[in-house]
Amino acid sequence: MRSPKRIGRMSAPGRKVRLATAAMLLVATTVTACGDGKDDGEKASAPKAPATIPELTKDPLTLSFIWFDWPPAKALEAFANAEYKKERPNATIKVNTVPNANWHDAMFTQFAARKTDFDIAILDSQHIGEAVTNGNILDLTDFVKENIDVAAYNPYLLAAYGQFPQAETGKRDENASLYGLPLLGDTWTMIYRKDLIGDKPPQTWDQMIAAAEKCQADNPGVSGLAFHQANGSDAAAVTYNTVNGVYGGNLWDSKTRKIDGVINDAAGQEAMDVLVNKMKPLTAKGSGNWFIDEVNAAVAQGKACIAFNWIAASGGLLDPKQSTLGTTREQILDKLGFATLPSQKTNLVPLGGMGMHVSAYSATANQTEALNFMKWFERADVQKKWAAAGGVPSRTDALESPEFLNAGPFNQVYTDSVPRMRDMWNVPEYARLVDIENTNVNAALNGAKKPKDALDDIAKEQQSVLDSSSRKGGGGL
Amino acid sequence: MSEPVPLTTDHPGQVASTTPPAPGRSRRLSDRWLAVTFISPAMLLLLAMSVFPLLWALYLSFTDYSATRGGPANFIGFGNYTAILTSAQVHTRALTTLIYVVGAVGLQTVLGFGIAYLISRRTHGRGVLTTLFLVPMMLSPVVVGLFWRFMLDAQFGVVNSMLGSIGLGQVEWLTRQRTALLSLIVVDTWQWTPFIMLIALAGLTAVPKYLYEAASIDRASEWFRFRTITLPLVWPLLLIAVMFRAIEAFRLFDLVYILTNGGPGVSTETLSFHIYKVAFLGFNTGTASAYGILMVLVVIVLTQFYLRYLNKLKEG
Repeated sequence: MRSPKRIGRMSAPGRKVRLATAAMLLVATTVTACGDGKDDGEKASAPKAPATIPELTKDPLTLSFIWFDWPPAKALEAFANAEYKKERPNATIKVNTVPNANWHDAMFTQFAARKTDFDIAILDSQHIGEAVTNGNILDLTDFVKENIDVAAYNPYLLAAYGQFPQAETGKRDENASLYGLPLLGDTWTMIYRKDLIGDKPPQTWDQMIAAAEKCQADNPGVSGLAFHQANGSDAAAVTYNTVNGVYGGNLWDSKTRKIDGVINDAAGQEAMDVLVNKMKPLTAKGSGNWFIDEVNAAVAQGKACIAFNWIAASGGLLDPKQSTLGTTREQILDKLGFATLPSQKTNLVPLGGMGMHVSAYSATANQTEALNFMKWFERADVQKKWAAAGGVPSRTDALESPEFLNAGPFNQVYTDSVPRMRDMWNVPEYARLVDIENTNVNAALNGAKKPKDALDDIAKEQQSVLDSSSRKGGGGL
Repeated sequence: MSEPVPLTTDHPGQVASTTPPAPGRSRRLSDRWLAVTFISPAMLLLLAMSVFPLLWALYLSFTDYSATRGGPANFIGFGNYTAILTSAQVHTRALTTLIYVVGAVGLQTVLGFGIAYLISRRTHGRGVLTTLFLVPMMLSPVVVGLFWRFMLDAQFGVVNSMLGSIGLGQVEWLTRQRTALLSLIVVDTWQWTPFIMLIALAGLTAVPKYLYEAASIDRASEWFRFRTITLPLVWPLLLIAVMFRAIEAFRLFDLVYILTNGGPGVSTETLSFHIYKVAFLGFNTGTASAYGILMVLVVIVLTQFYLRYLNKLKEG
């Protein structure tokens, strides 16, 4: 017979046993949730990839990429499965995509978990610093020395898509480490209506604004300009950076890590004034949240005289099914022209595009396959095929090849723009810096802030992020 | 034939203790242990998915830990909490959230109660009408955000098209400071008014008919009946619905993300959206944890005051 004392309330030993069990459960949960705990105590640094590619697996293998959802992602998957499979029949290429606004988060939350469902991360050039500092991607320096003909590239493209710390604009540091290889080159192209403003594109920024103004006045219902203004991703920030570069401004002084007083100097103020007070009034009403797709839609529907967009995203403009400008590609090309950006005080253009980077948390067999894929992809013949398939290569021979130049009307624009490119800050704090710039430029474009206040706020807030990056302690807002 | 075993008793523990164990069952496997065995999977799940993350976030909130940067989590005391509470950025987001919560919940309450009142007076088609009104509530907020984004587009949206057809000009719904927050309130109201309506309808249906009959005999006016019978009886239930909606609205993220992305500038960034940026753009995990804990505390404290008021109302 059981003791009646055990009914209702537990006896002291029983309570202890259950408390101990609960504590053990909590500890077990903690241990399970935190993994093996090795990562927390170790300072991250990028692990090295082998100089020579180890033996490849003969088993079926899926090589996974992560990118954002846009036409080049589909083109890459189709191209790689068609061509790479000829050499590695057991390998299947899968390009996983996420919405552009989630791209950074999708990659870095997996990096944070020290476990990735992708083998090759397609990082924006500015993400490299964050990934390298955290030890998320492999150091490819030795691998590149053994397997890649670096002399075949414009040095800046190699630096932009793989090097950290990043070199000065247009230069590559031969002694710096490389963490990636170019996948897709890109820059902005000016898209203009030949039937509305003439065959010859404007040569200077002032001429471009004047032409857009006249076109808008002459063609009711058609806006003079269309460009990126959204506050998601890097949309509005790239627009301001482009105008800033053209008007002779600088984003920062990389040697002294100074932003305040640099981005908001006289040239920076002039650029913001041009953007908000001269360019914005020529855009469509409500275009303050436009990004790649919206600009393309405005061009395809004949609603813009002059537009700016990334070359890699411009292919759809020539598709008669998506356009009201003509029923054939030729008819559309009679109306649309593509040109390099007009110059003003300088001829700088924004660097776009991305590189391939091997996840440090991928399985060894997949890392090996990834290295093999990258070696294959950077071959001269493959780069030309990639160009013919709609990609934008980075090797100089491929950029100057007829395969590339004849593949699209905007490809010559890219080749001509390569020596004119300028990138943003390639630092671990990039995501916060670009968010500050994006939200403030977007606020200025949509009347939520005065242009000067927005620029001064960018300078102050970005400087604060850079200054606090080496400081320990709370905050981090 | 044996006596039927009662399904419930006032003292189930005592009954269980006096019932002899079934033949073949281990003496150690008492009813209490059986209960523990059955409950423990759910408890484990709760511990792993809810209690542990909360405690872990509480711990991280006192550190400078970053999920991506690795390295040890250094204890920094209340550094994160001080930084958040004194930050002008946070104050701006708190004000935006407050305006949103008051605007959206206020509008939903008025509309929800109004619709419920009108439906409760109908005798025919009441069920169909109620079901139709509930449809928006059943949709995913992301889907709602996406189609409202198209509808509110200044250039191609159906809303501006309709305004244009009656001679009104284009409105930049999502890209101007005032209209962007108003748009969020309108979309949230469209989706969640049915929730208030449903609760209010339940309250209205429960009002005893004889009270209205007595009022009719006294020739009380419609307004008098509403003010002295309907509203006082439905009010406590309505307040509970308001509390649920206020808690939901306080942590709004999805609609902001889809419709305005916090813009123009940061003018529609709510507290939750700001936490997302701190956590996943800067990966300042310690700060984001403290921010989240503070939000939970605010909700708990306000809810406690609210519940006390409700209890007083009940006692009164």
